[in-house]
Amino acid sequence: MCPDTTGTSRRSFLQRAGGATVATASVASLAGCGGDGGDGGGGGDGGDGSDGGDGNSGDDTTSLRYGRGAHSSTLDPQNTTSGEVAKVTNQAYEGLIAFQPGEASLVESLATDWSLDGDSVTLTLREGVSFHDGSEFTADDFIATYRRFVDDDYEYHFADSSVYGPFTLGNWIDSIEAPGDYELSITLTQTYAPFLRNLAMFAAVVISQDAIEGDTNLGEEMVGTGPFQLETLDDANNRIRLTTFDDYWGEAPNVDRVLFLTRGQNSTRAQALVEEELDIIDGLDPDSMQIVDGSDTAETRTATGINIGYMAFNLSRVEAFRDRRVRRAISYAIDTQAIVENIYSGIATQADQPIPPALFGHNDDISPYEYDPEQAQSLLDEAGYGDGFSFSLTTFQNPRGYNPAPLPTAQTIRSNLAEVGIEVSIDDRQFSDYLTYTSQGSHDATLAGWYTDNADPDNFCYVLLHPQTDVPEGQDWVSWDTEGFNTSNNAAWANSEYMSVVEEAQRTTNQEDRAELYQEAAQIAHDEAPWVFLDYADEVRGVSNSVNNYSVAAIGGPFLEQVELE
Amino acid sequence: MVSKRFVFKRLLMLFPVLFGVATVVFAILHLSPGDPAVVIAGDRASQEFVNQVRSDLGLDDPLWQQYVRFLGEVATFDFGQSYQVNRGAAVSQILADRLPITIELALLGQFAGLLFGLPLGILSAVKQDTWTDHLTRIGALSGISVPIYWSGPLLILLFAQFLGLLPTSGRIGSEYFVEPVTGLILVDTLLAGNVAAFQSAVVHLLLPVVVLGIYQMALLSRMMRSSMVEVIRQDYMRTARAKGQGSKITVMKHGLRNAFIPVITVVGIQFGSLLGGAVLTETVFEINGIGTLLVDAINRSDYPVVQGTVLVFAVLYTLVNLGVDLTYSVLDPRIEQ
Repeated sequence: MCPDTTGTSRRSFLQRAGGATVATASVASLAGCGGDGGDGGGGGDGGDGSDGGDGNSGDDTTSLRYGRGAHSSTLDPQNTTSGEVAKVTNQAYEGLIAFQPGEASLVESLATDWSLDGDSVTLTLREGVSFHDGSEFTADDFIATYRRFVDDDYEYHFADSSVYGPFTLGNWIDSIEAPGDYELSITLTQTYAPFLRNLAMFAAVVISQDAIEGDTNLGEEMVGTGPFQLETLDDANNRIRLTTFDDYWGEAPNVDRVLFLTRGQNSTRAQALVEEELDIIDGLDPDSMQIVDGSDTAETRTATGINIGYMAFNLSRVEAFRDRRVRRAISYAIDTQAIVENIYSGIATQADQPIPPALFGHNDDISPYEYDPEQAQSLLDEAGYGDGFSFSLTTFQNPRGYNPAPLPTAQTIRSNLAEVGIEVSIDDRQFSDYLTYTSQGSHDATLAGWYTDNADPDNFCYVLLHPQTDVPEGQDWVSWDTEGFNTSNNAAWANSEYMSVVEEAQRTTNQEDRAELYQEAAQIAHDEAPWVFLDYADEVRGVSNSVNNYSVAAIGGPFLEQVELE
Repeated sequence: MVSKRFVFKRLLMLFPVLFGVATVVFAILHLSPGDPAVVIAGDRASQEFVNQVRSDLGLDDPLWQQYVRFLGEVATFDFGQSYQVNRGAAVSQILADRLPITIELALLGQFAGLLFGLPLGILSAVKQDTWTDHLTRIGALSGISVPIYWSGPLLILLFAQFLGLLPTSGRIGSEYFVEPVTGLILVDTLLAGNVAAFQSAVVHLLLPVVVLGIYQMALLSRMMRSSMVEVIRQDYMRTARAKGQGSKITVMKHGLRNAFIPVITVVGIQFGSLLGGAVLTETVFEINGIGTLLVDAINRSDYPVVQGTVLVFAVLYTLVNLGVDLTYSVLDPRIEQ
């Protein structure tokens, strides 16, 4: 990217003021662009807005600059649950199966064909694929990748594997075999319909066996088959530079380089986009969206997110919450429409069930609980809580994607519930403390949320609302200290009807039949109200006008290999 | 000359200081809420997985065992591996990468403070009770009164966002990648012979250095002025003038050296506060030194990084103070006694 000439002229003011040395920078920068200064972007970064400055003077490479809020803490996809890491690793690694850019459907990647029949999965692998280290991709690479992730007996097992090891692969795979170099045969522990989607997750990407069994430090190097390969990991300046992989099996990327740059403050990031220092940014809040939308150099683009924000009642701890009438009463008493419209400033939609609208299995017949304090009061009266009661609402302090304003949300809930006689005290905590506190089940109720891992309804219905342990008969909740209890179910809700529907959906491989089962599960969850369903947040990106062919993806990606720069 | 014994004695004092700091930081971390194992495992993890992580990290050992292990690590300057900030990387390596960034910033801030603060202070003293003096003193008072977390964003707003003259954050343009040799960006860009990258680094560091330097400049000019005013009134100064020396020579030759002693104290102590100020400055300007490292590590319950960073701060502070004491004794040999 070459600097915009107008951008450079602003810089030239400084150069005149700052003396000859800085003035030379401008000359060098322009020289690097071959004198073509009209190429959009790059003008706002201190007189150095070109690619010519890094010693490539004279080349005409195009660099896509992706701005984000935090730097990668590792480059190892098996050592993280962080989406921030996945943004980078997804450029260099590929899975057997991939998500269609901008959609939740599955498409070919390193596997060209697959089938799931009962507990048996067979995959045909792509031939003629090379890793960045030059080795050829075969079935053995996937087996080594899998074993590194979950197999304690493997010599090269990675001791610091993330929870995605068991969560996505280990818990479901019984055995893997490679009948041929380009065939994989996987036996599952049970029929598990979401499994193929797990193979498309960022954590299941294939790493070169040579790299795994060699002395490669996968925390700092990436040896995948993806369209981009690592050029520079610059932790000291929070940035990563990727370059195109010449032997990539697919269509070559449209840009020569991708730079991942970190700007922690949302407003700074938005300002950098507007001033053409960045080409694409994520993590926008309503204020930074205004900055972008108010400019003539960039715009915001949104896509429906696959996530949910909610308030969970802890049935294990608060007796009142075990009465569905109380839970429904609170759902009626909280004005979620006002929260979404006023506090989240329209970057989210009202939620009404655990399955977000972008996923199959979402029940379109369900609508959100309407704000109705009278109905709430009458339900409370009926349940014997007409005089009210009190509870503490735990929340994290900093905004998260599914809840852009946790404290104002909690305050609105407090004032809404005060109208029906329920006294709420807000217990706000720093995120690490919040995670610890809620994972121990110490909360009465908590604000929470979830981003999808694999764009499957099971990832919401089973992971967040199934106790995954034995439930005492006739009881629709479990005690937090029950052996094997799934602590991601922070409501400790255990509705047997719901559980059996969700379990059946896991075992059903026909997509239409599954969708029906999830619609049924969604209806039960809506009616039983173990959560107050708050919102589904949009995915928002800021995109420079010089960027073409970029689609906002709620799962997988970002798909930067498709992007073109003017 | 400074005796070796003096230096040795002072270096020995490092040990109790480090022991105290290590104990306090260990206690604070373990008293603070938030379980690192839960944070590392993430919100997808089962209780079993969290327990496994806790056990792997030795966080389920009795506290005293963890403390003894930690002291052993401190003694060998091996602070373990980062839990979160740079997962799996050795803390000592992370610190080695980040420390030069902070030191460069602090040194430049100090340099800016000295460059402007000392002449202003001397000028103010020599031109005592004139308009020059009044203006300098008002400027100095303002400089001391303005906190970094206010002046930083304000300058960013003015020079970066409103006037668009300077970059808002970072320490080099996004397209310049220079092989780190010393970790000091100005030096590394020069070593690489990349003039454009050097210029980019200069432009990027300008605002942060000004923000750090303002306070230094203000404080030093006040200190220099009062010290100089006092020295000017001394008998030996009058004698020098009576012997026919010009006032400039008197001030520069006889006055400066004596006036410097209290100023050096301030410089030393302030270098410590510069390191502290660098935490704020780095955060405001998104520079990746040990200041932002510390904040990041605290937010993410990364115990090894917090412990390592705080101890490095303590060592630096102590060494700088030792340096100050040594400088005194060079300026005034009586002090060593």
